[in-house]
Parts: sequence; C-alpha cells; structure tokens
Amino acid sequence: MLDGIRNRTLLSVRNLSVAAGDRTILDGVSFDLQPRQILSVIGESGSGKTVLARTLASWLSPPLRVAGGEVLFEGRDLLADPAHARSLAGRKIAYVGGNPAGALDPTMTVGAQLVEKLRAVRPDIPAAKARDKAIQLLKAVRIPAAEQRFHEYPFQYSGGMMQRAMIVDALISDPALLVADNITQPLDVTVAAQILKLMRELNAEFSTAILFICSSLPVACDAADEVMVLHKGRVVERQAPAALTALPQHAYTHALIAELPTLWQGGPDRRRAPAAERPVMSVRGVSKAYETRGKSGRALVQAVRNVDFDVFSGDNFGIVGESGCGKSSLMRLLTGLERPDGGQILFKGEDVGAASPGRLRELRREFQLVLQDPYGSLPPQSSIGAILEEPLKIHRIGSRAERRDRARAAMSEVGLHPGLYESLPTGLSAGQRQRLNVARAMILEPDLLIMDETLSALDQTEQGKLLDLFERLQAQHGFTYIFISHDLTMVRQVCSRIAVMYLGEAVEVAPNGRLFFDPGHPYTRALLSAAPTLEPRRYRPEDCLLEGEPPSPIDLPPGCAFASRCPHVMDRCRRDNPALLSRGDQALAACFLNESKEAAHV
Amino acid sequence: MSSIDITAAPAEPLRERKVSARIWRLAFASIEFRIGLAVLVLLIAAAVLYPSLSGIDPVKMNIKAKLTPPLFMGEGWAWSHPLGTDQLGRDMLVRALVGLRYSLLIGVSTTVLMLLVGALVGLFAGYFGGRTDMVLMRLTDAQLSIPMIILAITILGVSRPTIPSIILVLGLAGWPVYARVMRSTAMSERKKEYVRGAMVLGATDWRIMFALILPLVLPPMAFVAVLDIARMMIFESVLGFLGLGVQPPTPTFGNIIADGRKYLMNAWWIATMPGVFMVLVLTSINLMGASLERARNAIYGGA
Amino acid sequence: MFILRFLARRLFQGAIIVFLVSALIFTLLRVVPGDPVRLMAGGMAPEALIEQIATDMGLRDPIWQQFGRYIGGVVQGDLGQSFVRPANGAAVGGASFDDTTRSERAEVLTLIADTAPMTLQLALLAMGFALVIAVPIGVWGGLRPGGWPDRMALYLSSLFVSLPNFWLGIVLALVLSVKLQLMPAIGYKGFAYAILPALVLAIEIAPFLIRTLTVSVAGVMGQNFIDIARVRGLTRDQIVFRHALKNSSIPLLNLIGVQFSMLLGGVLVIEFIFDYPGLGLLTINAVMQRDFPLIQGIAIVTAAAFVLINIVVDLVATTIDPRLEY
Repeated sequence: MLDGIRNRTLLSVRNLSVAAGDRTILDGVSFDLQPRQILSVIGESGSGKTVLARTLASWLSPPLRVAGGEVLFEGRDLLADPAHARSLAGRKIAYVGGNPAGALDPTMTVGAQLVEKLRAVRPDIPAAKARDKAIQLLKAVRIPAAEQRFHEYPFQYSGGMMQRAMIVDALISDPALLVADNITQPLDVTVAAQILKLMRELNAEFSTAILFICSSLPVACDAADEVMVLHKGRVVERQAPAALTALPQHAYTHALIAELPTLWQGGPDRRRAPAAERPVMSVRGVSKAYETRGKSGRALVQAVRNVDFDVFSGDNFGIVGESGCGKSSLMRLLTGLERPDGGQILFKGEDVGAASPGRLRELRREFQLVLQDPYGSLPPQSSIGAILEEPLKIHRIGSRAERRDRARAAMSEVGLHPGLYESLPTGLSAGQRQRLNVARAMILEPDLLIMDETLSALDQTEQGKLLDLFERLQAQHGFTYIFISHDLTMVRQVCSRIAVMYLGEAVEVAPNGRLFFDPGHPYTRALLSAAPTLEPRRYRPEDCLLEGEPPSPIDLPPGCAFASRCPHVMDRCRRDNPALLSRGDQALAACFLNESKEAAHV
Repeated sequence: MSSIDITAAPAEPLRERKVSARIWRLAFASIEFRIGLAVLVLLIAAAVLYPSLSGIDPVKMNIKAKLTPPLFMGEGWAWSHPLGTDQLGRDMLVRALVGLRYSLLIGVSTTVLMLLVGALVGLFAGYFGGRTDMVLMRLTDAQLSIPMIILAITILGVSRPTIPSIILVLGLAGWPVYARVMRSTAMSERKKEYVRGAMVLGATDWRIMFALILPLVLPPMAFVAVLDIARMMIFESVLGFLGLGVQPPTPTFGNIIADGRKYLMNAWWIATMPGVFMVLVLTSINLMGASLERARNAIYGGA
Repeated sequence: MFILRFLARRLFQGAIIVFLVSALIFTLLRVVPGDPVRLMAGGMAPEALIEQIATDMGLRDPIWQQFGRYIGGVVQGDLGQSFVRPANGAAVGGASFDDTTRSERAEVLTLIADTAPMTLQLALLAMGFALVIAVPIGVWGGLRPGGWPDRMALYLSSLFVSLPNFWLGIVLALVLSVKLQLMPAIGYKGFAYAILPALVLAIEIAPFLIRTLTVSVAGVMGQNFIDIARVRGLTRDQIVFRHALKNSSIPLLNLIGVQFSMLLGGVLVIEFIFDYPGLGLLTINAVMQRDFPLIQGIAIVTAAAFVLINIVVDLVATTIDPRLEY
C-alpha cells in the first residue's frame, strides 16, 4: 500500500454488477489483478464471463448495463469516467476475442490494419516505426515469413494464424492488461497448446497482465497461475491450479471437476472388445482430391490419401484428427455422398464407391449418418413427426399408420416425449435435437451408424447423456458405430479402436488402451500431450509439442507428411512415406521409428 | 436404465413458426405496410365497384361536358366529374379506374409469370451447378444484356399488341433477376446440413429440390416480388404511352396520358391526373413491398 | 498476367452474348408479323413490286442465310444500311415507292455513332445526379437502421419508384420549364437541355441505389470486424469512412452495372418525351418504322455496351475486394 506507485494493483474490480433488463448477469463480482499476473476465469455458458470481459474492455451495449460497482484500473474508475475508459481501449487495455475469423476488415491487408490500429491509439508513432513494430511482433508470435504475411489479406490466414495476428494486434500498443476471451476454443488442440505457450512467453517478455477467460477447466489450469471460478455471476472460488484440483472449496467447483471425463485414470468403461469376424466396413487405399483455385490456376488438394482400416461388427470405431486432416472428406466418402478417386470402400463386401445410384439408395437403409450441427441439420419447417417419417417415405416402407407408429416408437426410444410429434423442432435444446437426429438415422434400422462430430456442439452433461443413449441403443439393436471427432477425451471413453488422421492419411490405427498408453506415431504422442486434462500429463509437452503449421495439402513434400514437424525426424522420412506397419495386437502405425525399434528388439 | 431423461410434455402447442408467416407478421407490424395496404384496398375496391355504380361509361363521348376541370381547380368543375373530363367529355375518374383494372391485371400476371420461370431456372442452375449452371446462367446473362424495354418494343412494336402477348413479353423479359436470386439461394441452401442429411437418407434430387428447398425459399421471394408488380405496372404504362400497349378505346394509364399530352397547355389535368392516381396506387404497393423486403431481410439476417 | 487472362475470357464470353442477342433480335424481327417492305414502299405499292424489292433486299432468303450475311458484314464493321432513313440526314424516309428523288440509305453505323454520344452524356449526367441524391440518404439510413433517416429513405425510395418516368417528365417539363421558365426542355440546343431529362432519369434510378445502400451499409455495420474495431481503439469516423463504406461499395458497384441497363430503358422514353436526339429516340423511331437493320444495330451496340460495363464493374470490384478472383 505504501510501496511505490510501481506496485499498485493494476486492476481492481469492486462489487461489479451488470444486468440485462431485470436479469442479473454479474452479481457483486470483486477481484484484484496485479501487474504481470495471469489469471484465468472459468465458468459455464451463462456464468457471465464474456460480459465480464466486455465490461473491462468498455464494450457493453444495450440491453446490458452496469447496475453497480467499480472497475479501478491503475486507480481510476472506468465506469465513472467513460471518456477515459474509451481512451484506454486498445491502448492500455487490449481485448482478443474467440472469433478470429471475422475480426479484421477483409478488404485491407493485415499489416495495414495493424499499423492503422497502432497509429490510432498512439498517433505519435510514425508509420515506418509502426510497420517495423508490427513485423517484429508477428515474428514474436511465430508466424512464418512475417514480412510476407504482413502484406497478405485476412482470408489468406488460417484460424490459428489469425488468432496470433489478433494477439499481435492487441499487444502492439504495449498494453498493461490483455483480456483474452475464449481465444483457444475454436482452435485445434495442438494449435491451442501453442497459443498457451505463447501467452506465457509474451507475458514474460512484454510484462502484460493477462485475464484469460475460458470454459474448460483443464485449459484454465494450464494457462494461468491462478484460477477464478465464476458461477451464476458470482465469484465462488480462486486458487492456484494445483490447489484447486486437489482441494476445491466450493461445491460447484467440486461438481465441475467430478464431471470431467479422464484421459489417463480409470473411468466409465464403455469400450468393447472388438469381435474378430468379417469386417462390416473396410476401407482400402481410399483417396480423394478436390480442385481448387491456387495461386496460379487450378490446384489439387489431396484431402484423403491412401486410407486403410477395418471396422468390425459391434465396434465403436473412432476417427480422430485436427482440422485439415481429411476426416470430413473421409466421412463424405464413407457415406456415399461422394465417390473416391481411388481405392475401395467395402460395406459388407460390396463396394460403395462403385455402386449405382439405385443400389446406393438401397444400401442406405443399412448404414446411416448422424450429423453434427443440431440446428442446421433439421429441415427448418417440418414437424418432428414428419422429420422422422421422411426416411420411411423415401424408401417407401410401410403404410401411413405403420410409419406413424414407428416414428412414435423411435421418439420414445431416444427419450423424446411422443406428444411432441406435431410440434416443430424450434423448442428443442441442442441435446434434444441431436436425439432427434439419432432417431432419424435409426428408424431405418441400419447396421452401421456413422457419427460425424455428433457431440461436438453439446456441453459436458448433455454429452454424457447421449453417450449413455448410444450405449443402450447398441445393446438393444446391435449397432456398430463409427465416431468421427476431434475430442480425444470423448473418444477415450467410448471407442474400442481408433484411427488417427493427419493430412489425409491414417497414421495410426490401434485399440483404445494401446493408442493412449503406447502410441506408435509421434503425431499421436503430440496430440495426446496437448489434450487438456487436469491429471498429470503422461507425455510431456516439452518433448512432443509441435511448432508451426502443417504443410499445405496442395503441394505436399515427398516422404512422410509429418517430417517437417517431427521431433524424431530422420533423413529417410523425407524420402519415403511410411506405410501402416503392424506393431502386434491389431495396432498399426505409419512410422519408421517402429521399424528401428523392432529391429532393435529383435 | 434411464440416465436418459425423457423430455417433458409440451406445455402449450407450439405456435406456427413458418418463415413466411413470420415475415408477413413482421411487415404487418410496421406503419408503412398498413398505410399501403389500406390505400391499396380502397383503390382496388373503387376500381371494381365505382365504374358500375356510377353508371358512367368510360368510352362514351359526352361532348357537352368536355374539358371539365377537376374538383376545385379552374372553372366549371362538377361533382359528377371529380377528376374532370377529357377532350371528348369522358369522365377521367372512371377512365382512370378502368385503367387501373388493366394495370393490376397485367402487373400481377406478369409478376407471377416472371417469378415462376425465374425460380425454376434458378433452382436447377443453383442445385445442380457445373454445366447446367453455366449454360443456364449464360442464357440469363444474354437476356439481361437486352434492356427489357428494347425487347418489349421490338416484339410489340413490330406485331400487334394484345393482352396475352404483353404479359408474355414483359414476363419473359423480367425473369433473369429472379433466376439469379434463386440460384444463389439454392446454392447456399444446398450446402446446408439438412440437405446433406436428406441426401444421406436416400432422397432423390427432385425430392430435395421440390419438396425441401423450393417451399422454403419461394415464399420470401414472392414477397419481394410485390415490388415488381408496381414495376411492371409502370412498364405497361410506358408501353401504352408509346402506343404499344392495350389499344384504344380501352383506357389505360399510358394511352390516357399520351392522348392528354396534346392538351397540356389548356387542359393539363388530362395528362396529369391519371398520373397522380397511378402514383398513389404504386406508392401504396411499393410501401407494402418495401416493408415486406425489410421484414424478409430482418428474418433471414437474424436466422 | 492474370488481368489479361481475365479480360480475354470475359471478352470472349461477351462476344458470344452479343452474338446470341443479335441472333435473337434478328430472328424475332423476321418471325414476328409486320412487313417492313410494305412500310417502306407505301400503302399503294402493288404486290409484285413489294416482292421485287423484298427479294432484292434479300428478305425472302432463308433466315440463316440472311443472318450469315449480316454477321459477315458486322465482323467487318458494316452494320448495314437503314431501310428507311436517307443519308442526307432527314429524320424520316422519303415519299412513296416510285419517287425517284429517294436517295442513298444512311449507314446504320453512322446513325448510331451520331446519336450515341448524346445518350452517353445524358446517362452519365443522370447517374451523377442519382448518386448525389442516393448516396447521402442511403448511407445515413444504413448507419441508423430503424431510425428516422432509415424510414425517410424508405418513404423517399418508395415514392420515387412509384413515379412513372414519362409522367414525371411531362409534369416537370410543365412546371419547371413552362410555368417557372427555369430550364429548357424540348430538343437540344446546348448542354442545359440535358439537365431536365437527366434529372428525371436520376429520380427513376435513385430508389434502387438508396435501397441497396441502406441494406449493405446496415449489413456491414453489423459485422464482427466493425464491432471489434471500436474495442481495438479505432475512432468512429475511421471505422465508418475507411472500413464500412469501402465494404458496402461492392454491392453498390454491382448495382450500378445493372442500373445502366435500366438507364438504357428509361432513356428511350425520356428522349422521346423531350425530343432529345439520342440513341433512345433513334430506337423508338426505328421500331415504329420497322427499320430492321437499325434495330439490329442498336441491339448489338447496347448488348456490347452492357457487356463492357459489366467487365469494368467486375474489374473494379476485384481491386476493392481481394477475395474475389479474376
């Protein structure tokens, strides 16, 4: 208190209350933040954390209004003096949001906008100096070829790069406080891990205090020195991560931690032993390329290259990978929406890729797809009953009365009240909509159900309920599932066998336990080390963490696609592309390291 | 068994949430729409009823009453001829109302024709893409390259204009805009997940196009088409003005004004009054149409 | 260079479009009833002579042959000769069929070349007026959606679009020119004669510009990067003028391209009313007189102009928005 001005508390929030209409969003929130401190704020949706972030950034718009309290930044109350608050925006208090995609003007280069921002808040800095500073920062956040990227447009940046550019935008004016609102959620796991590491480095280098807001407890614990828990607009707890995990003090935190599925320790066992019969679906050497406009005319994107795996009856097969790995394209091939350029997709021995449209339609009765987006995947104006009867109508099954009965039966099986038959789906929650999707896929009584990121849009509790549903349906109907997902924790709970995809190839296919505890491919290990979890990590990020971005799928270098980022790369990897080699017990991995290991063990 | 909760029974029957109903309701809430609707209904009622009720024949000459000025303007005005009479003594109000009938008839039928043709072309082009799209779009572009009016006067000027031919020419000249709009809508709808869902279920292309996409996108487009009713009415009157529309003695706005041009100096009302009338009708239609367009943009923008 | 490839491709496509348009008009004229020869020769001419003249002019040959000959001429720059107008510049053709004083027919190309600049002047002036009227109203309305500038934009554009251009022309001519003697109306004896017609045309196209602007400005202002810009520290002026306007100009550009097509239509009637010696008046007279070659020539020229305008609009759009491809 009587120490020099240097040690003054940077941010002091006292009893802040924010409301919208007569609904209270933030209720008497108080906390302090010291200079150069990193504090995470975690809460579920509706807890008020975004509103808190926006209040600090002076970004409240009606109907939100401040109902009371103070926000003292460097001693001055921002709420009492909006003009001062506005002058701080972008200059001393910076904000980075979770939606990098639309954040910059698409018609101006990124560099020009960075310079514009800096000169807007610090007009005393000449243009040339601003430019240099921008480039310097772009390099600091590890954007490759920074000078070139400076002159590129936002649409030429990938999601991860854009997020880094926005971080540069925030830091370019040397702010004392950075408010990071959910910045890692839209990103892939490995990219998010890189960003978190970056935040720590920037915090050290530029002495910026960071308020890191997110909705995932493991990420919050990774990111900061202290974690603050927000529940229903109130601060319920604040501790260091280790203490928080070990001894949560508030019931809500306790429940939050208990609910989190675990990667490494035991958990509900939904994995089945794979049956060793004839496979239900076999993918053999499948490849698919798409045309796109490149820098000089047409270019070919190799979305799927030479993918190979089998799915057996009763399996829960998982396909995991990050964005750009080709799993969406693979999904379209598996469901017959597109034909592969090469290879075969055998469903019960019959080639789906070569079937006639009529035969394909018949086959559709035996394998179906459950979609990802709970809102966009349902026809907007049909009633629930009509949606369920549609597949029966298309395939001309049963009479009107029979269809109605089957629809109602399907509804009760997935847990939707039969009274909703005539209603539109508009009143349903995301979880309920996904149940409807499942019912719709199930109603034809297929043997195989492909789940395309079906649970990604749902929160933790809903996911749990739906996984229970899947298990029950499988026990009752004998379904085989293929889960396509980017969420390793979900896959760990459910799948019996898992394929990991990278840049269009399946780089590893293994049973659940083997994959997690003895991965055969460095990419799998990197993925596992980046997966957010509260438990002690099995693989240390320092060993496995990937740098940079994956190569562009348009011109792939020869050899292993992972060679440019692999911590154990050898010369051979840049020449030859390894095929999937068996490591025993149905585990396959495409990496030369296994060869040498085997050679060593032999 | 049940860690699955069964959703509660619906508390109240869910209200109709069809997109078209929402657009209509939103538009109806605005004042402009209601003003436009009220004025339009009034005028249509007048057009239907007044000529018969007043007993005045629009084409019968009445030389005694010729060149009477409208109410309150000039000398010799009479209540029996609220808008005055023309050089042959024909009552302007009745003529204008009869003209309104034809205008509305042609305006509405033309718009319906344009909408249907354009929507079908756009649907096929947008859904199938590729070659179909290219061919259909080149056709559309070619048609767009000829200003409507040149095409219309070429065809009608060189042959004899009848009501069906006028409707046909105007309708066929205006469909490209709808084709373009429908094409871009169909293209974006096609990429949406529920279409993919229907495909995976095994629905044929025809089923998806006509049972799924078309009922969804046509009503909003139809609302915007209201604006075109007014536009087509103007075109019809332009043609009439040039002598290429419905032929005399049937009165239409165009030929009344064309006739009246000669008397501009001493009987200015012959040329201007019908125009004022027309402006009233058109403004009310346009107010309605503009509100509908706004409502549609609001609902789709929010959706 | 990519621009060259773009231009080559578009010009080629444009040539095809012009070809199609020309074929369409050509066929229509010959298929639709109404004999131009009869009109030329006069009502009194005997049947045999009509046939003779028609055959001499090649009008009895099969259509594709006639078209072939025509296209052959066009490619060499010869758009044919008017059926009706004499080369000495008189507005209408001479007397009846046996009048020996009938002189050479005028070249279509010359007729068009004489009148096109006048119409161009009128069109540019009209577009200028329209932008001056529409841009302030549209932008202001877009910046405050739902507010009274927006409502005013709605009322104004609804009103303007309900004024039939020919009626408005008559009324304005009556009021401004005759009663108030402010500016000249009929004919053309100097630049001032173009003002009133241009004003009428401007009022005709302004509502579409206003409507598009309000929608696109409001749309852009609602986008993420505009919202975030304030938090990043940019001032409101910077946001509106440097970012919002630039982004909303692209739909406007597209519309301007389409509006030129509307202008060409409106020009016809306006020139007719004001007796303005431009392409529009030429067209109307050509249609009235069944002057096939002239009609065809005008159709080709207008189609070509439209194609060129579209190419220019697209080129400008690609310089503004880098996401668009050549």
